[in-house]
Amino acid sequence: MGERPPLAALSLCSPVSAVSQCRALHTTVSRRGLDQFFDHPENWGETNVKSGAPWTAKQLRTKSNEDLHKLWYVLLKEKNMLLTLEQEAKRQRLQMPSPERLKKVSRSMVRVETVVKERETALRLLQTGQEKGRPGAWRRNMFGYAYWYRYKEYAIPWYMNKRYKRKRFFTPKFVQPHIRLRLEKHLREKARSATLQRGTRSKLKEKFPQMKVSAS
Amino acid sequence: MRLTALLSMAAKVVVPKDYRFGTNRPWTAAAKRLNTAGKKRRKVFVEPIAAEDWSVLKGDMVEILSGKDKGKQGRVNQVFRHRNWVMLQGLNTHFRYIGKTGETRGSYVASEAPLLLKDIALVDPSDRKPTEVEWKFTEEGERVRVSLRTGRIIPKPVVERRDGIVPEQWKDGPKDTSPEDTLEKTYAPSLKTLEEEVMEKMGIVENRRHKGSYWY
Repeated sequence: MGERPPLAALSLCSPVSAVSQCRALHTTVSRRGLDQFFDHPENWGETNVKSGAPWTAKQLRTKSNEDLHKLWYVLLKEKNMLLTLEQEAKRQRLQMPSPERLKKVSRSMVRVETVVKERETALRLLQTGQEKGRPGAWRRNMFGYAYWYRYKEYAIPWYMNKRYKRKRFFTPKFVQPHIRLRLEKHLREKARSATLQRGTRSKLKEKFPQMKVSAS
Repeated sequence: MRLTALLSMAAKVVVPKDYRFGTNRPWTAAAKRLNTAGKKRRKVFVEPIAAEDWSVLKGDMVEILSGKDKGKQGRVNQVFRHRNWVMLQGLNTHFRYIGKTGETRGSYVASEAPLLLKDIALVDPSDRKPTEVEWKFTEEGERVRVSLRTGRIIPKPVVERRDGIVPEQWKDGPKDTSPEDTLEKTYAPSLKTLEEEVMEKMGIVENRRHKGSYWY
């Protein structure tokens, strides 16, 4: 079932060899407010901590914004706890118990972000008609490539910005021969790969005459 | 270990386009011994079978149609999609020595050889005879394998999950969300962004206004 990534065992908070010796001396381990960086004491010292499945985007879409907000921080704290565990494991040169928990948490967080972004895009499209939140434009760089240039935020206008004025968003004339050579190379590559594919297909046909014309 | 070596180990294995896939996984030492970098071997032509037409799954009962163990039935252990191979458990074996050191020959062990798809036929579970199989849709809309000779449905084999979890016997841990809570719908569509909704709920009031900046 969909559960959020669960526990991580904080087994490596204290060196494993010393735990059995220290247990007789003191029972309470005060973390001074850092308890949430460590797992439930029951899971300390275990090599396998069971964990449920990560949240799926479909399940997250049914949750309200407030719930998603809370879930994000819960997941963040869990991730910090697991990372602490991982680092301690490296320090003690031991295997981290159940490292797949970290992957599950990261994936859940990515999915939460996706859902929030989806809702934001939908609202923006309704209100402004713009799909992207950050402004940008199609520009051509010095090498002849057209790309989506994302705008940056500045305190001064562009005509007062010396570093921005030094950027060139056009292709100088001396670059044209190089562009032509690049184009020729691209066409040659395409022609070669097409011939190669045709050759392999004909060879396959003669070896396996009953094969279907596959999507290659 | 050096950081670069460690990182390259953890990353996804990159194989060249004309890599000859064998029974060993590409990242193992045995595979690296057989396929050294820069070594070119004669190309193997593999009959292209579309992903949706693939009928043999791991854990199926199949019968061998030709070769040394012709007529025997066995369970599929491994499927190699790159070469249209299938490894059966304990069938089509040859013998070799394993663990040879210095003077000792090591242990004499039976190792399986892969079988091509065309030498394999799925076994109909009702009469235990080999049949041709096609993918068809049931009345519910489920896509199943139907044997052409008898018309019976061949069910998908039950394979154990890699983490050993059986979904029917799962018990939630303290950090897992229960199925009811996960599927509970709390989302009410509104024209507010997540930030606005959360600020309202938490009583945060933001009266400061953005001074204005330039985007370019």
